[in-house]
Amino acid sequence: MFAIKFWQTLARYSFCCVAFCVCAIANLAVFSSIAFANTVINSNSKSNLVINTQQGSRWQQVQTLGRNQDVYFYAWGGDAQINAYIQWAAQQVKTKYNINLVHVKLSDTSEAVSRVLAEKSANNNNQGSVDLIWINGANFATMSEHSLLLKQWANKLPYFALTDPANNPAVTFDFGLPTNGMEAPWGQASLTFYYDSIAINGKANNKLPTTLNELLNWSAQNPGRFSYPKPPDFLGMSFLKYALVVLHQQSSENIKAQLNQPATALNTAQVLNPLWDFLDKLHPTLWRGGTHFMQSGAQMRRLVDDTELSLAFTFSAPEVPAAVKRYDLPNSIRSYAMSDGSLSNTHFVAIPYNASHQQSAQLVANFLLSPEAQAQKQKAHIWGDKSVLIQSTLTPDQQALFKTAKPHPSALPLNSIKRTLSEPHPSWVNAIMQGWQTCYGVSQ
Amino acid sequence: MSVISKSAPVNTKATTQCSTDMFTRIVKFSPRFLLALLILPVLGGLISVLLPAFGYAPVLEQTTFSLQGFNALWQTPGLTQMVTLSVATGLISTLLAFIITLMILAAFFNSPWLNRIQRLLSPILVIPHAAAAIAVGFLIAPSGMISRLASPWLSGWELAPNGMFPHDSFGISIILGLTLKELPFLLLMALGVLAQPELGKKLRQQHKVALNLGYCPMTAFFKVILPSLYPLLRLPLLAVLAYASASVEMPLILGPNTPPTLAVAIMHWFNDVDLNLRIKASAGALLQLAVTGGLLALWLGAEKAVKVLFSDSLTNGVREYGGFYWQKITVVLTALVISFIMLSLIGLVMWSVAGFWRFPDAMPEQFTLLHFKSALMQMGSPLFNTLAIGLVTTLFAIILTLLCLESEQLSDKPISRFTSLIIYLPLLVPSIAFLFGLVWIQQLINNQAAFFNVVLTHLLFVLPYVFLSLASSYRRLDPRFAHVAASLGAAPCKVFFKVKLPQLFAPILIAAALGLAISFGQYLPTLLAGGGRIATITTEAVTLANGASRRTSAVYAIMQMALPLIGFILAWVLPKYFFKSARA
Repeated sequence: MFAIKFWQTLARYSFCCVAFCVCAIANLAVFSSIAFANTVINSNSKSNLVINTQQGSRWQQVQTLGRNQDVYFYAWGGDAQINAYIQWAAQQVKTKYNINLVHVKLSDTSEAVSRVLAEKSANNNNQGSVDLIWINGANFATMSEHSLLLKQWANKLPYFALTDPANNPAVTFDFGLPTNGMEAPWGQASLTFYYDSIAINGKANNKLPTTLNELLNWSAQNPGRFSYPKPPDFLGMSFLKYALVVLHQQSSENIKAQLNQPATALNTAQVLNPLWDFLDKLHPTLWRGGTHFMQSGAQMRRLVDDTELSLAFTFSAPEVPAAVKRYDLPNSIRSYAMSDGSLSNTHFVAIPYNASHQQSAQLVANFLLSPEAQAQKQKAHIWGDKSVLIQSTLTPDQQALFKTAKPHPSALPLNSIKRTLSEPHPSWVNAIMQGWQTCYGVSQ
Repeated sequence: MSVISKSAPVNTKATTQCSTDMFTRIVKFSPRFLLALLILPVLGGLISVLLPAFGYAPVLEQTTFSLQGFNALWQTPGLTQMVTLSVATGLISTLLAFIITLMILAAFFNSPWLNRIQRLLSPILVIPHAAAAIAVGFLIAPSGMISRLASPWLSGWELAPNGMFPHDSFGISIILGLTLKELPFLLLMALGVLAQPELGKKLRQQHKVALNLGYCPMTAFFKVILPSLYPLLRLPLLAVLAYASASVEMPLILGPNTPPTLAVAIMHWFNDVDLNLRIKASAGALLQLAVTGGLLALWLGAEKAVKVLFSDSLTNGVREYGGFYWQKITVVLTALVISFIMLSLIGLVMWSVAGFWRFPDAMPEQFTLLHFKSALMQMGSPLFNTLAIGLVTTLFAIILTLLCLESEQLSDKPISRFTSLIIYLPLLVPSIAFLFGLVWIQQLINNQAAFFNVVLTHLLFVLPYVFLSLASSYRRLDPRFAHVAASLGAAPCKVFFKVKLPQLFAPILIAAALGLAISFGQYLPTLLAGGGRIATITTEAVTLANGASRRTSAVYAIMQMALPLIGFILAWVLPKYFFKSARA
């Protein structure tokens, strides 16, 4: 009995020992192979580095250092189409450079700005969590002012030359501020309006407004059918800027010039008072009587689908037919551009100064600027965002990528934008926002 | 048999001595570990918000203490409206939920309906706040389910009317959403108390005696049962009140924005591009703390006042207070609440499969699975994160809770009142007040481990619920099993693993399902501790809730609801097959 028990115990313990040894060996093998692979990659890149510094090619250096890494791309995530495009881009850079592009979805770009600032304050100067950020306008101005961005990299991207920077201020100036190579252009947008053709049926008092004044009259005759997102939302601010520029079209040259200058205590009242007068007349006719404003442009689109609003606007004209195809807008929607001008701007991607994967982020930015990526982005059923590449700089093969198919009935007809209005100086955004908060920020 | 007696003595003397010490040492240490885990982050977070509030923010190159944050705060336009909105929505929604709970309990106390209502409302409990807000938003919008059912035959509306809900400036939408969400929670807490064997039996017997003395059922409940029931409901009520006054998801999705509630405003200030607003935001967080503390004090004071005012009516012998009519009113109210909840869920499901669905139609024109397909393609990573974080957090919470409860039994005295209060601490302190500070500390210590930070933060919110859920079952275990096992020579760890745990299999699964549900529903902790790098289903849902597509947000809301349900179904099914013999 004792003998049997002894052999049983011995057998059990030996089995456990053998199992443990097998597991340990397996783990060691796996880890060592990973470590070996890493050292091979590192030594490869180091040897490449040695070779390339001998050759002196900066871009090849970026390419070798940037491969096989992760890039955290902080970008607004409120549109399913844009998210899908970024996933497509992620697959492409994975194939080309073995880069793992992770789309960190933001509801507001200021979240990423706060993040980089928090890291700067915690003295995190090279392990930042944000590698690439989709940005323009006021957010760019803030990051640039606080020295949060990597400098002089965008102008060295190989595909940057295709945007014809020497003759195209739209890619070197962001809302009037020079980009200084801190951001690479990604796409262009113009303010487009869309409406429900069943609700605005062209009968008396219900004709489609095509200028700002007509908009005011139409809203007065059809109260509660139009509104704009609450500042500081980007789209709401854009509507206010559009109104401001149009209201000053009849003003003297002196005052019009102020819009391109920084806003100061001296010129603010003079420039903004016409806007407040206009809004005082507009607000009582708006949705919810102007006491509540929706939080974002996306919410505005949803209200059009709910038939609470009959007229709305967007910066991304292709989002309208895309939404109709996804059933998010009724098929009676039509798009058009205001005849007194459409506010236009460019949006960019930038790299924070402390990004953990700077070279990989540059590779991704360069890919986003490539003709393949830009053409894919411009397709109406993908995203429809206008490309920043100038057709005349492209080869015929590259130009062929941009050919379009038959447009959707709710899409903006080609060449509808007869007039573009350029953005005022970014400091006016803050001035308008402060003024708006004071006049209308708290409902009485 | 002789083999055991021959080989066992050789081992037990040495090894059981060591293993007992190790296990018992771990067990005895765990209440202190629990306390540390709960107190340190909350207090640390509060202190990290205290310093910037008084002007000390090295981030922004400000190292002198000053009151500029508070000055900026007082000058914010609409501050009084923000505070009034927070206070009003918090107080009214808690009061409403509490009163309706009491009325339901009183009216259906001895009726089989109570069980049916409990079973109907229990699944609602695990719906995260964000999903509930989305569903309620669908219901009360001018183009929502209620208007669609009444148009155009009753109201004559061809286009959606100019309505007030949601986002009305009185906060009625927020109150509605919060009440519908907190009502099942309070009801189930009360029923849980009544389900305790000794207390429940005693209360039901007292109720029967009161009925025999001629009291109508509702009066009997209020005069006889409520005074004994209330002290056990006090902490859940305070937790509900604290949450309602400082919550972010509900007012973000349903509330006004000129101005919003205080918590939402603070969140916007913290996230603002202008980084100097952070000092104002920290001052605001302190104000929020004061507001919530004031509300809690107000509630406790009101409780005392009610006690004093109504102590006479307890013994004045009045048998009837119009109980018949109150009963009918309660039935109508319950039907209304349940139909609201059902209608919003039906609306949610229909939106998730809807094609074109123009306003006055009660049903969509076409049904399509496009939304589910496109959402599921994007959902892979958030889903994985949600499940991973939930499982790790819940596992850790359950282990820690079990060890603490075991320590109670090993040291033969219950955990102190201080510990019981601290367990509720993360629920009572407004999360917006300490989370920003906690995140700042986590970034100082360890920047890259976002997953670990999120798990730690979720743990703070999951522990209280898991503890509450397991404590009653654990304490109800028959101690004689453990005594018999010990007298047969089993070490404490053997008793724990082989005698106690199998008996607790079903309660552990339920607590795990509850912990998972809580973790799945967390929004602000995931957003802040993960630095936005960790996307879960809830963060995606809140981002999309105010987005452009009702259909996509409906799909995400349904996913949010489905995940905890799976946990509870497992908790219901598995005990039927495993450890059957261990169940009492």
